[in-house]
Amino acid sequence: MIADEPTFARLMIASQGGDRRAYTVLLTEAQFWLERFFRRHVPPAQIDDLVQDVLLAIHAKRATWDETRAFLPWLAAIARYRWVDHLRRVYRSSESELGNHDAPADSEEEAVLARMSLDRLFVQLSPAQCNAIELVKIEGLSVTEAAMRTGQSESLIKVNIHRGLRKLSALVEEAD
Amino acid sequence: MPPRPNPLIAQLAGELEPVRPLRMRHGLALVAVATMLTIAAIALWQGLWSGPANGQAAAIFFIANGLIALVGLAAARAVVRMAAPRVGARQDGLRWLLAALAILPVTALLLMALEGTVGRHDQATDGLNCFIAGTVSGIGVAAALILWLRRGAPVGPNVAGFYTGIAAGALGSFAHGMSCPFDTIGHLGIWHVAPVAMSAALGRIAVPALIRW
Repeated sequence: MIADEPTFARLMIASQGGDRRAYTVLLTEAQFWLERFFRRHVPPAQIDDLVQDVLLAIHAKRATWDETRAFLPWLAAIARYRWVDHLRRVYRSSESELGNHDAPADSEEEAVLARMSLDRLFVQLSPAQCNAIELVKIEGLSVTEAAMRTGQSESLIKVNIHRGLRKLSALVEEAD
Repeated sequence: MPPRPNPLIAQLAGELEPVRPLRMRHGLALVAVATMLTIAAIALWQGLWSGPANGQAAAIFFIANGLIALVGLAAARAVVRMAAPRVGARQDGLRWLLAALAILPVTALLLMALEGTVGRHDQATDGLNCFIAGTVSGIGVAAALILWLRRGAPVGPNVAGFYTGIAAGALGSFAHGMSCPFDTIGHLGIWHVAPVAMSAALGRIAVPALIRW
């Protein structure tokens, strides 16, 4: 089972105070949490890189968490921000299928995760933008392949990706 | 078999140093100091208008400058909070406040169209001076907020840039407004609100590149 909100908060307070053992546990738990957070929206081969990227961001920005606020919404905001950046960078991946390796989890964890999940961002996009981003940026199809699959023109696919990413970027904090 | 430890985690833990958490009140204090210094500089440079103290200022002077200051404070507060990201943060209240501010130029333009009020009470050159001075006066607040955001972790750089511009323009215009003796709706509604719009556009264009991380 992945650590819950109070455990994360306790570990982070100790980490901000310089406790290396607590920090090791915190980052390890954060790694598990992030792997689950990203699993349906990032090809398996890219998850490790993205998780490492977020761990580095947590390290660099650890002073920006305030103990009067919840920890997981802070972590999720950083994870979303890095994910949108990642989508911008990735044009094509050799992976064409996403993993479906659902780990067992208790209902409370699922509820917390669901409230902040990346799906909440996708529902804010138009279906055409959502399709274009999923096919090209996540499944790794080329623009031509995505155009053939969806029936949209290639230029429309590009426009939908561009506008969709811009919208995702604006929604990182707001969509909950 | 226990999972293999992540070498990156071991490295980051090895580098760990204690940090002082970013406190929102420190960010707000930074903005307050920047605003006070701006007002002090304007007082030394141009002198403050004595009309409000002598009872000579019209009601619209207090209403317009009060509303502009309120928008500046609300935007600055939003920007300060953006340094500490969190899913679920919204800026809906600020949007309504901006809509309230828009009443000033809309009223000024309506009166200008219906009665020619702006033309009677205001000289365009004075207005232009206030527009430029109000915009330039926001530089201190903008610098303070950019500094704060660079220390933080803003996850919406475009929105943060836009609101940084609003805060800088509004607080700059408010600071300059303390020295301006024109207290008509035509002057205040257009030339003292225009710096807010100009700074918002500048902030949206220039700030994101400075705060991206």
